[in-house]
Amino acid sequence: MLRRTVLGGLAATTALARTASAQDADWPKVVEAAKKEGKVVVYTASIGSPFHKIVFKAFEAKYGIKVELLEARASEVRERVRVEQSAGRFLGDLHHNGSTTTWLMTQDGNFQPHGAVPNLKNIEAPYAATEISIPAEVISYCVMVNKNMVKAADEPKAWKDILDPKWAGKILSDDYRALGGGAVFFMVMYDAFGKEFHDKLAAQKPVFSRDLANSERRVARGEFPLYIPFSLQDYNNLKGLPVKPIVPAEGRPYVRFDLSTLKNAPHPNAARVFLNHYLEPESQLVFANAGYNPVVKGVVEKTSAEIRPLLATKAMGTTTPSRQDAMLALAKEIYK
Amino acid sequence: MSIAVDAQATPARFLARALERHGRGAGLTLLILLLGFLSLYPMGMLLYGSLHSTPPGMAGTFTLDGYAALASDENLAAFANTVAISLVKTVLSLALAILMAWIVARTDTPGRGVLEVLITLPFFIPPILTATAWAMLGNAQVGTINLVWKALTGAEAPLVDVYSYGGVVWHMMQYSTPFIFLLVVDAFRAMDPSLEEASRMSGASRWQTFWRVTFALMLPIITSAFILSFIRGMESFESAVFFGTPVGINVITTQIYNSITQKAQPDYQVATALGFAAMALMFLLLVIQSRLLGGRSFTTVTGKGYSPSVTRLGAWRWLAFAICVAFFVLTVALPVGQLLLSSFFQFFGFYQLDMLTLQHYRDVWENDEFWHAFGNTMLLGVLGATATMTLGGIVAYVTTRTTWRGRRLIDILAWLPWMMPGMVLGIGFLWGFATLPHSIPIYGTLWALLLAYVALGTPVAVRVTSGAYAQIARDIEECSRVHGAGWWQTLGRILIALAWPAFAVGWVLIFFGIMRELSASILLYVPDTEVVSVVMLKLWLGGKPEEVSVIGLIMLVLVLVFRWVQLRFIKRRISTL
Repeated sequence: MLRRTVLGGLAATTALARTASAQDADWPKVVEAAKKEGKVVVYTASIGSPFHKIVFKAFEAKYGIKVELLEARASEVRERVRVEQSAGRFLGDLHHNGSTTTWLMTQDGNFQPHGAVPNLKNIEAPYAATEISIPAEVISYCVMVNKNMVKAADEPKAWKDILDPKWAGKILSDDYRALGGGAVFFMVMYDAFGKEFHDKLAAQKPVFSRDLANSERRVARGEFPLYIPFSLQDYNNLKGLPVKPIVPAEGRPYVRFDLSTLKNAPHPNAARVFLNHYLEPESQLVFANAGYNPVVKGVVEKTSAEIRPLLATKAMGTTTPSRQDAMLALAKEIYK
Repeated sequence: MSIAVDAQATPARFLARALERHGRGAGLTLLILLLGFLSLYPMGMLLYGSLHSTPPGMAGTFTLDGYAALASDENLAAFANTVAISLVKTVLSLALAILMAWIVARTDTPGRGVLEVLITLPFFIPPILTATAWAMLGNAQVGTINLVWKALTGAEAPLVDVYSYGGVVWHMMQYSTPFIFLLVVDAFRAMDPSLEEASRMSGASRWQTFWRVTFALMLPIITSAFILSFIRGMESFESAVFFGTPVGINVITTQIYNSITQKAQPDYQVATALGFAAMALMFLLLVIQSRLLGGRSFTTVTGKGYSPSVTRLGAWRWLAFAICVAFFVLTVALPVGQLLLSSFFQFFGFYQLDMLTLQHYRDVWENDEFWHAFGNTMLLGVLGATATMTLGGIVAYVTTRTTWRGRRLIDILAWLPWMMPGMVLGIGFLWGFATLPHSIPIYGTLWALLLAYVALGTPVAVRVTSGAYAQIARDIEECSRVHGAGWWQTLGRILIALAWPAFAVGWVLIFFGIMRELSASILLYVPDTEVVSVVMLKLWLGGKPEEVSVIGLIMLVLVLVFRWVQLRFIKRRISTL
C-alpha cells in the first residue's frame, strides 16, 4: 500500500516537475503579477506557530507581498472555506491543513489546481505533490519521557516497550478516538503491529487528554512519566524542562500538512509565488530546525545537531483518509 | 475594517424616532425585526442544519438522523451528567453568592467595599487560566495541595483530585458564584428597609425576616440568576473538557465538540440537534420560572425615600468577613497567585531561580498582533456592551412594564441566544452572516462580531434590567407620565435612573463577556478583525501559557479599574438618591 502510494506520488511529482520546468521561463511574469496583487490570504490550521510566521515574514520581505493569516482549528478552517464558497465569497487564496482534511476538501471541490511552481522539483519521497495539493511540512510523532522519572535504562526503545506492565496507569496520551495526532498514532500502530498492540495498550489504561500543550506540561511537572504521541516540533516550547523526545526503533508515525489553492482565489499569482517560497530549502530549514520534517531534499543534513538525529529517523507511516472513520470507530471500541 | 462610534447609536436613535412618529406599533415591529435578525435568523440556520444531512449550501436530504442520535447511551449519559453537574454547582453557588451578597450589602462586616470587588474577580479570569492553575494545585499525583497534605499528615492518598466530578463542579463554581453575586448584590442594596422593619415589628425573628421578606422579595432576581447560571452551566465547556473528559465525564458541550472536531467528517447535524435538545430543556426551565413567579409583586423601590438598612452582626461580623476572605483566597489568591508567580518564570509551575525572567511581559508588550486585537476588543467591548444594555433595557421595559401585545414574543426572542450553547450558536452566526446578500456588509467585518456579541449579551442585559425594574413601583413612573414626561423621558429619568446600578453591573458583565467570547469570534474574525480571545487561543495552542497568563493578568487589572470606578460611581449615586 505504502509502496503504491510512494510510486504514484513519484510519478505525479515527475510529471508536475516536467510541466513546471517548461514554464520556468514565465516565472518572472508570475512574480510580477503577484507583486501587483499585493497580498496573499492564507487559511491555516497551524495555530500560533512562530516558525510559520518567520517563513511568512521572509516572504513579505523578499517579495513585498503581504501575507494575511486566518488561523483556526482544522474543522473551523474547513467550515469557513465551505460556507464562504457556497455563498459565493472567495476571500482566501491558500489553504494549509492536515492531509486528511485536505483530502476531504478536495472531494468537496474546494480547491483549484495550483499551477506550475518551480520548486516542486525540490520535493523528496515519500512526500509528493498532486495537481491540487503540495506537501508543506511534516509533523512527526514520538514518545516523550520525564527525565526525572524515567532512568535512561528504562526509556522505551521500541514502540512495544510502552506495553510493559510497569507503565500501567502512567501514560498520558492524546485521544486515539478523535481526529488528530492520537488517531494518526492509532492507525500507524494498527498497521504495523495489528489490533493486539492496541488491546495491550488499552490494558495499560492510558489517560486521554486533548489539550496537547497542557499534557506536555503535565508530564514535565511529573504527573505522568510518559506522553504519546508527542509532536516533535513541540519540543521547542519545552527546552529547559526535564523532558526528552524519543523516536523508537521502528520509526515515527507522521502526518503531512498540505498547501492547496482555494477555488477562485482572488490572488492566484501571489499564491503560486508563496507556494514556491514555502518549498525553498531556506524556508524548509526553518521548519526542520523547529522539529518538523522537511518535505524537500537536502535540508535534514543542514539542521542543528540536536534535532538532526530525531528527524533522520525512519518515517513509519501515516493516515489514510479513506480509512479514517473506520479507524476512529475501532479505537472507540478498543479504548472504552 | 473599522466602524465609527457614532454608528452604534443609530439603531437606538432610529428606534426612538420611529416610536415618536409612528408610535408603539412601528417600534415594536422594529424591535421584533432586530431581535429576529439577531436570534431567530442564526437559529433558523441551525434548525435547518439539524434537519438536513449536510450544512447549508450543500446538496443533501432532510432527515431526522441528528435527533435520532440523541437517544444513544453516550448522549443520554452526557445529558444526565450535564443536568446533574449544572444543578449541583448552581445550587451551591447560589447559596454562597446570596450569603456573600447579604454580607456585603446589608451587614456591618468590615472591609465590605474591598470585599465586593475581590469576590467578583474570579468571574473575569479566563477559565483556561484558572483551570491550568487548579490542575497544578489539585492534581492527584503532584498537585501542590496534595504534596502539602501528604507532607503534613503522612497520608498516602491525595486530599483532592481535580480530575473528577468534584473538580468540574468546583471549577464551574468559581465563575457562577461571582456571576450570581454580581446579579443579586444590588438588589439587596436597593431594598426599602421598611418592609423588613414591619416584619421585625410584627414579631418575626431575624432569620424569619430574612427568609420571608428579604429573600422572598429577591425572588425575581434570584430565580433569574439561578436560571442564567444553570443554563450557563449546561453550556459550560472549559471545566468539563479540562477536568471531566480525561476521566470519562462527558457533557453536552463536549459531545457537540466531538461531533464537530473529532470526526473525519464534522457532523453538524448531530451537533445542532444536541444544541436544540439542550435548548428545549432550558426552555422548560423558563416556563417553570414564569409559572413560579407569575402574578406576584416584588416592588421594593417606591416613591418614598429610604436608605438600605444595615444589620449589625456584632462579633459574628468577623465570621462573615472570614467567609468572604476564604472565598477570595480559594478562588482568586491561590490560582491568581500561581499565575502571577508563573508569569515571572520561564515555565509555568517551575519555580527555579535560574528560570526567573521578564521575557513573557516583553513578548506580550512587543506582540503587535495582541495589541491590534486588544484595540479591536476594547472597541467591540465598549460599543457592544453599550448597545446590548440599550437593547436589553428597552426589551426589559417592554416585557416587564407594559401590557403591549407582542411583548412575550420579544421576551422569547431576546432569550433564545442564551439557550443555545455558544459553540453551536457561533456556527449559526457563521452560516447566517456568510449567506447574507453581499450588498449587506456584515460578514468579514467587525459588524459580524459586534452583532454576535449583542445577540449573546442581550439575555443577560434583559435579565439584569428586568430584575431591577421589577423592584421599582409603578407609581413613580405614573407620576412622571402625569407630570407630562414622555415615554423616553420616563424611561431615562425614572427607570434607568433608578435601575442604573444594575445597568452598570450588566455593562461590566457584558463587556468582559465580550473580552472572553471565543466560540463565535473564532468563526467570524478575519485577518484584520482579530480579538483578544483568538490571540489567547493561538498563544495557548502554540505552547505559550505564560504569555496567556500575562494577558490574563492585564485583563484582571482592567477589571479592578472598571470595578473601582463603577463602585465609586454607585456610592456617589446612592448618596444622592
